[in-house]
Amino acid sequence: MLKVLDSAVPVACWSCSVAHNESTLFCPDCSKIQPPSTGDFFSVFGIERRLNLDLAALERAFHRLSRQLHPDRFVRASASEKQWSLADTALVNDAYRTLKDPLRRTEYLLKLEGVEMGAPADASRALDQKTNLLEEVFELNMQLDEMRAAKKAGQRNAELEETLRQARKWNAGRVEAVDCQMREQWTRWDAGDAAARTAAQRELVALLDRRRFLSNLLRDVNEILKD
Amino acid sequence: MAYSDKVVDHYNNPRNVGTLDKSAAEVGTGLVGAPECGDVMRLQIKVNPATQVIEEAKFKTFGCGSAIASSSLATEWIKGRTIDDALKIKNTEIVKELALPPVKIHCSVLAEDAIRAAIGDWRKKNNLDEPAAAEQVK
Repeated sequence: MLKVLDSAVPVACWSCSVAHNESTLFCPDCSKIQPPSTGDFFSVFGIERRLNLDLAALERAFHRLSRQLHPDRFVRASASEKQWSLADTALVNDAYRTLKDPLRRTEYLLKLEGVEMGAPADASRALDQKTNLLEEVFELNMQLDEMRAAKKAGQRNAELEETLRQARKWNAGRVEAVDCQMREQWTRWDAGDAAARTAAQRELVALLDRRRFLSNLLRDVNEILKD
Repeated sequence: MAYSDKVVDHYNNPRNVGTLDKSAAEVGTGLVGAPECGDVMRLQIKVNPATQVIEEAKFKTFGCGSAIASSSLATEWIKGRTIDDALKIKNTEIVKELALPPVKIHCSVLAEDAIRAAIGDWRKKNNLDEPAAAEQVK
């Protein structure tokens, strides 16, 4: 059988031979399960590649596919069908986990578009303009270290705690700002032509870098302020 | 993933952790970050103005074991070298010495970048041009 990688090219259903798009998990004609698709995560749910997603619709599609792929439905099926249902379930889970999360979805789409993510040398060169952020991240990490040492010694440093609380508030605000900018770029990418998309991709890579720094920092601050 | 013995050694006994006076003229500070993992690394050098030899090197890294080991090793290597010699250190040598796996290569790149950034800062402070630019002076 001819294996086609282009998801736009129809392949024949193994059961009824009716041609269908390879990215569908079930034959649209005879409803038989198909071997795991080679399409991307978007095509698993039959949606086009875009960054603004209807999350409620995505969730519904996920539940529908999960029901259709449930092992109970394959009790009397052939060995291959059983195996495909398991493989398809894993694929659907991966696809859903990736697409429902705004950051993962953005990263995934950029990867699909062949965008080089965080190549270290480039990244730190790009970060030169963000030295301020780096300095802040570094300083805050120093304070976190100090706080950990104080905790270990069984001491409380109220002043430092307050500083960290302020930092948390300030950085949570920044995360929101980054997310807001990211959504703007999503819209630009979704609606744009090739040139607009390339520009949006560049912005998104920078925003994701910034977001990662801030998320790591917030995680560490939250960890230490927890109790 | 298992760390090599050398990484573990540097991680448990990091060499040259500390701070040098950032405002001193003979001190160069490099602060670099890897967005991929959120690591930040600060590497500082104290240079003898007459000989251009790096007399002191300190670092502080917030990140994974490989990032800490890479910067620890970097400070060990640059100490006692001239500025020009220190610039010859390649991240691939760090990878080899620490037996870093492919996913941790960026840690060594970060250390190389930190050396360059520290030297760049020291040059800037002392109004020294990059060697390439200096050669063009008539």
